Amino acid sequence: MGELANIFIKSAFIENLALAYFLGMCSFLAVSKSVKTAFGLGLAVIFVLGITMPINWMIETYLLSENGVFSTDLTFLRFILFIAVIASMVQLVEMVVEKMSPALYNSLGIFLPLITVNCAILGGSLFMVSKEYNFGESVAFGLGGGFGWFVAIVAIAAIREKIKYSNVPPAMRGLGMAFLLTGMMGMAFMGLMGIDFVNF
Amino acid sequence: MGLLEFFKKIEPDKKKSPYLHTTYDAFFTFLFSPDSVTKGGVHIRDGMDLKRTMVMVVIAMQFCYLFGTYNIGHQHFVAAGQYLGILEGFHLKLAHGLIKLLPIFIVANVVGLGIEFIFAAKKGHAVEEGYLVSGALIPLIMPPDIPLWILGLSVAFAVILGKEAFGGTGMNIWNIALLARVFVFFAYPGTISGDEVWVSGYEKLAPGMSVDYSWWHTGLFNTVFEWMDVAKFQVGTVVADAYSGATPMGLATKGGWTAVTEQFSVAQMFWGTIPGSIGETSKPLILLGGLILLATGIASWRVMIGMIIGCAVMGLGFNAWDANAFMSVPWYYHFYIGSFLFAMVFMATDPVTASSTNIGKYIYGFAIGIIGLLIRVFNPGYPEGWMLAILFMNTFVPLIDYYVLEANMKKRVVNA
Repeated sequence: MGELANIFIKSAFIENLALAYFLGMCSFLAVSKSVKTAFGLGLAVIFVLGITMPINWMIETYLLSENGVFSTDLTFLRFILFIAVIASMVQLVEMVVEKMSPALYNSLGIFLPLITVNCAILGGSLFMVSKEYNFGESVAFGLGGGFGWFVAIVAIAAIREKIKYSNVPPAMRGLGMAFLLTGMMGMAFMGLMGIDFVNF
Repeated sequence: MGLLEFFKKIEPDKKKSPYLHTTYDAFFTFLFSPDSVTKGGVHIRDGMDLKRTMVMVVIAMQFCYLFGTYNIGHQHFVAAGQYLGILEGFHLKLAHGLIKLLPIFIVANVVGLGIEFIFAAKKGHAVEEGYLVSGALIPLIMPPDIPLWILGLSVAFAVILGKEAFGGTGMNIWNIALLARVFVFFAYPGTISGDEVWVSGYEKLAPGMSVDYSWWHTGLFNTVFEWMDVAKFQVGTVVADAYSGATPMGLATKGGWTAVTEQFSVAQMFWGTIPGSIGETSKPLILLGGLILLATGIASWRVMIGMIIGCAVMGLGFNAWDANAFMSVPWYYHFYIGSFLFAMVFMATDPVTASSTNIGKYIYGFAIGIIGLLIRVFNPGYPEGWMLAILFMNTFVPLIDYYVLEANMKKRVVNA
């Protein structure tokens, strides 16, 4: 259990997908204008990461690897299959969001289906493969990574809502400011880098 | 002719020479209150303006400056095994401290204020005085031997990207002084981190290495001291053989509290005659500054209380866990070592970057206490955690405020 908690905390704060690896930047920069939308998108990312990670783990272990059903190395199919799983999960999320909260659906707009190509999600699955996690660890990693991304986008949205009233120089307004904020947040998160709970 | 008439007479034209007028205005408002005041504002309670708020913080820091100057010199001679008494060689210690501290202070302020002046003139504003505090804080949190170009670069980074890009004084999200320090910390790790203490004035801090005196030591001050007929700087001085350059934090990681007290007594750590950043060592003087800030209502006691409780809770938790030597350090001693108090009094309470709601202040302070101690004890790479913890929590301040406000609004709706 401690092992899993360690992976969760590590992927959420220390190796944050958005602020340490700078993955999923397109939606991170574009949908972080208000806390409410960012909150919705963040939850969607947690859901998609948390579901796709274990499914992709199963695909990797039972279908693609040499020890799988086909007993041949099919890992060259990894990208296609992973993306297919992610796309179908996103479709599911989209249907649910449209049904449950049309307001959120409208404010997320094109960025909801675009979670499919959110690099944080495919990147997460590929990290999972390269780190050779087992099933439980991949669940913890998916949920932790999603939670970290959620925290990052909600925090930057709150900052952007706050500086809406600041006299930002014209050249820095909008996207420029978002880039600067992302960099500075990454620097603030660097303080946690190197913490490891396993050694204790 | 009175001073006021003189100033009115030399006032440059704002349209024709904006740069000159900005400079003029900055010095004019130091001496006189501006005559443009808010009319009929029921919310104005006294004549406190931004500049006076800032000056109050700078005054509160002066004790740290005085002691810091002395302590740079004191640590320099302790490393050489000379003048071990507090008052022995006092003039030498003070002179060495001034030689180290003044250039740092001048560079930090010239670079920072220079950028501030240029931006103010460009925007057609009066100079925003926010940099006065940052410019006074930055020298206090730097190691005494920092190369001046690194210092200038870090100050420029903090002021341009940390403040002016956000719209100037009062708009920044992250603490300016800490941004300058964190820039040095990550970009030039060799100058600021590590387990070795910061003792200035040697080529390298190892037994047998000789002093690195400049013209100011041997030329200027030695001439003065010869004329006054007192002890002079000795060029051949070397680091004493028995001197070990470990910090309290480094010692605690290796051997727990017993290893720390073998080298530094608790009284030493409390009064501050230990090596460290220039202003962070003397606890009573920091507390005195903190009292001034609390009495004038500039610093928030809620943040301080939150931070103390957070640190104590985490310390007690570590004591209970007790998995390595650093964790077994009694929780109350965590207030003695490192820069906890300085960070609490001068950094966390910064009214701009701290949470602006009352409940938010408790949360903000508490989280800094938890995270700061976590980094201090858990992270082998970083010697001290408060700077990083405060920057980390600065990131979440707008979010905390957002949710506290939402909760308040919900409560009002229910009550109404």
